Amino acid sequence: MVSQWRARSVPSVRRYVTAAMRYRWVILGILAVVWGAGLAGAYHEYTTTYESQATIWVLRPSPELSNTNPEDPGTPVIQTVASQQAELLSQLLRSDSFVREVVDQTSQRSALRSAPNEMAFLAGIRKRFDVETLGTNMLRVSYTTSDPRTPVEMVNAALTVRTERVLQARATSTAAVGTLYRREFETAQAQALDAARELDAFKTSHTGTLAPADESHLAQLQLAVDFAQSRLNELRGRADRAAVAAAVLEMSGLEFEVVDEPREQGTPSGGGRAAAILALVSLAAGSLLAGLLVFAGTVLADHVAGPLDVGRLAPARLFATVPRVAIPGSGSERDLRTALARIAFDDAEASRTV
Amino acid sequence: MTAALTHSFDGIASRIDASGARSVGFTSTLAGEGTSTIALGTALALAELRQEKVLLVDANWIRPSLTSDAHQDSALGLADHLARRTDLSKAIRSLGRSHLEFLPIGDRDAARPTLRGLATFLTTDVARFPTVLIDLPPVLTGEMYVLPWASLLDHLFVVLREAATPLPLVRQALGKIGLGAPEIILNRSAAAAPELTRSLIAAQTAGFR
Repeated sequence: MVSQWRARSVPSVRRYVTAAMRYRWVILGILAVVWGAGLAGAYHEYTTTYESQATIWVLRPSPELSNTNPEDPGTPVIQTVASQQAELLSQLLRSDSFVREVVDQTSQRSALRSAPNEMAFLAGIRKRFDVETLGTNMLRVSYTTSDPRTPVEMVNAALTVRTERVLQARATSTAAVGTLYRREFETAQAQALDAARELDAFKTSHTGTLAPADESHLAQLQLAVDFAQSRLNELRGRADRAAVAAAVLEMSGLEFEVVDEPREQGTPSGGGRAAAILALVSLAAGSLLAGLLVFAGTVLADHVAGPLDVGRLAPARLFATVPRVAIPGSGSERDLRTALARIAFDDAEASRTV
Repeated sequence: MTAALTHSFDGIASRIDASGARSVGFTSTLAGEGTSTIALGTALALAELRQEKVLLVDANWIRPSLTSDAHQDSALGLADHLARRTDLSKAIRSLGRSHLEFLPIGDRDAARPTLRGLATFLTTDVARFPTVLIDLPPVLTGEMYVLPWASLLDHLFVVLREAATPLPLVRQALGKIGLGAPEIILNRSAAAAPELTRSLIAAQTAGFR
């Protein structure tokens, strides 16, 4: 079984090896260009890129502080963990207004104002940010560029603008919730007044001993008043709790705390990951191109790679092989032919007719 | 050096000798495969092996390079004989030190190879030669000059150049020749012939199990 496999696989493998040998200079050229460019780019990236990063601790707020009422529209803003916060920051970075606001808080604001294409400038800033989740409660924000000072400014500005945006959104949300509760409270209050008014009117019109039917009606009116009062109390409590929870979260900063502040780097090393990716991509691209060339050279220029490969021409069979003959000082087919012709024809002192 | 060069063709010569073949032709798929070189080398090796007369015939109507090598471009040859312009004995050249004799192409415009003419040539005209080797043009470019020989020769070898001759063209050429089991000579093989033969036999044996 093994020898059968060998008999079949050796010729096919040899075809590729032969093609690789035939195109070896082209392959070496491709590898030299692609690998060389990639490695040079990676080296340049590594030696000229600075990076600053901030590590952030994220905590899910206590259930008492987060309103679990499904009707509460403020829930998505308050309930966050690391991945949610990372996603939130990434989404904010996708918007031009956020990036513009970040740049406005750094030394790059003059460059932004003088940029001929503001969108392209913002896009260039955006792609230098990286937000990654380190775990369930930790995330990292980093910025890379070619000077050591800008990354620190950018990361700090991004965190500041993000906080402002979240607080603004929370305030808007809280105001909306408050308005909602106020409207519901006003409605419930009107209903409670109506119920009390009906109860008073019934008591005024029915003095003395009441018939069983009137007693039942009186009990229903009293129950409606109690229910309306209870509803009023509940709405008042919910509105107070929503306002207090938002205020407490805003003051404590519990859910988003920067544990490692961004620092300015003295030596360039921020491009380590980008350089590694660049080097890997160039190595893979070079290998892929070389592989494609060998494959194309094998498939498109299909030929007999060796004696065992003659089997592909069945029913034709191999009668013999003529080895490559090395002629001292040359070795080409033409030289072999010349040497043979000299032996056969020139050795005859004079060709003569039989 | 002479011995070393001719020994490169000992493998082919000994197999032809073992097969008992008298008339052998060499053709190829395309030009430049080394057909004439192999025909010449095999003729030298066979002459030495059999120690009897070997006639090498240049029947390459397209590019008669053996005739050029022998400096016989304007000499009478096979075409003149087929056209009945000359007697064969006047066209065949004896090559001094070996048992090898050579028949150049002659005037190619004088005649074309026909089945009848070639049959007479092989069975009667060169009957005194125990071994006749024919150098033929490539099949794909000179089909009309090859096919008449195919049914008359004891062996017709198709020369391939290792790692060079395109397989689709080889298949096309083999289809044109139309022999049941065409025989291949692999030229400029990278591996040594005896080792290849052993590995080929081993692979075939394993395949039959």
